[in-house]
Amino acid sequence: MGEERDLLDGLLMELRRGTLVLSVLSQMKEKKYGYSLVQSLEEKGIPIDPNTLYPLLRRLEKQGLLESVWETGGPKPRKYYKRTPRGNEIYHELKGQWKEMSAGVEKLLKEGEE
Amino acid sequence: MNPRDQELMERYIYQVVRRLPKEQRREVGLELQELIGDMVEAGQPMEAALTKLGDPEKFARQYQDDRHFLIGPEYFDTYLWFLKIVLICTAIPVFIVSIVSGIREGAGLTDAGMAQAVVTSAIHGVGKGLANLIVSCIGVFGGITLMFAVMERRQIKFERERETEWNVRQLGDSPAGGKTAWTPDLLAPVPDKKAMIHKGDSLVGIVFIVLFCVLLIFAPHFFSAVFKNGEVISTVPVFNLEQWHVILPVFILSLAVGLGDEIFRLVAGRYCRPVMVSNIVCGVLQIVLSFVVLKVFPLWNPDFAAELKRQVGEQIGPSAEFFIERWDGNTASNVLFAFLVVITLVEIGTTVYKTLRYGTD
Repeated sequence: MGEERDLLDGLLMELRRGTLVLSVLSQMKEKKYGYSLVQSLEEKGIPIDPNTLYPLLRRLEKQGLLESVWETGGPKPRKYYKRTPRGNEIYHELKGQWKEMSAGVEKLLKEGEE
Repeated sequence: MNPRDQELMERYIYQVVRRLPKEQRREVGLELQELIGDMVEAGQPMEAALTKLGDPEKFARQYQDDRHFLIGPEYFDTYLWFLKIVLICTAIPVFIVSIVSGIREGAGLTDAGMAQAVVTSAIHGVGKGLANLIVSCIGVFGGITLMFAVMERRQIKFERERETEWNVRQLGDSPAGGKTAWTPDLLAPVPDKKAMIHKGDSLVGIVFIVLFCVLLIFAPHFFSAVFKNGEVISTVPVFNLEQWHVILPVFILSLAVGLGDEIFRLVAGRYCRPVMVSNIVCGVLQIVLSFVVLKVFPLWNPDFAAELKRQVGEQIGPSAEFFIERWDGNTASNVLFAFLVVITLVEIGTTVYKTLRYGTD
């Protein structure tokens, strides 16, 4: 039984991993800091572990899709991330692809139900 | 945040960042401080927050998206095959040679009765055999792995270079910002059957190199003339064993260069420009090293002829006499050197011919 569970978990993780970048990029039009992003994604039904999100933010920054800035004005220093112009382009491209894809998958699933 | 929580947090952060590259540590440390602070401020106890973040080792791994392997899948099969061959070629002769010489040494260790002498020398022999076996196998394993790891890194560079190689298509207008889209006519032709390098072809070379290495390291005295006068067996070594500690490393280096070339061929799998270059470079290096060993170093046992004569004594036959009269290290070096140069040149010639004829794309 445990094997079945592992298999399902693995497949689920792959499924989620593909959508994660899109989900994160979608929230980054305005600057946000890491934990606020964790919370807002969770409220919207896309929970993401901080130990996945933080490395992902760094990776996206390295790829030039996000830029970051440390703000030291508040009670403690915070790192804010925001989409770069290139990030905007990629995000819109991804968004378009996602809509097509999800419509297609939706159709496939409907067919399966009939 | 109370001091205990602070301490816990610092420990956690340390466990994550110590696994990251130096230049990332400070920044990631600050990020984590911010994150954990936020989680605690949101009402979670410190323990719960850290538990949610999970094992620091796994967390650190999320940060390292770079390649984390020594030998990648592309080379792995060749690597295993190679390792198997070389380990077998090393293990068996090392074991046998060490046992034999161990038994010989062991026999001299005791004056007690025959039975005890047999036991002592057997134990001594097997012990020495096992010890040498382990040491040499570990050494071989390390050496081969290192060679493949270097190859892995180099090959990746090759591939990157190939990607950016200039192509006339780059002048045309292509949709993907100057990068040429893949089309079927970019497919390289299947290499000519005659351009393929098969594992079997390299097998002989590899086995020979490894066997020779093993003998040179563990039993240079095997290269000797052996005499049996009644009960006493005496040997006259061909090589200058007193200078062996200087000569051996160069010998081994030269053989290792040859082995490296064989590995490279195998990994490439066909005659092509890099294989040709490697073959030429390794060939030249081997010639230079052979020159050093044969002509610069005192390779030969200077007393070989004299000792041989003494051993043979009065029962000397005409052919032996002829041999002893003519024996001269210098000539031997010249002959051997000429032989090696010819062999190496023939090999380079074959490689160049096959590369130019079949292997260019």
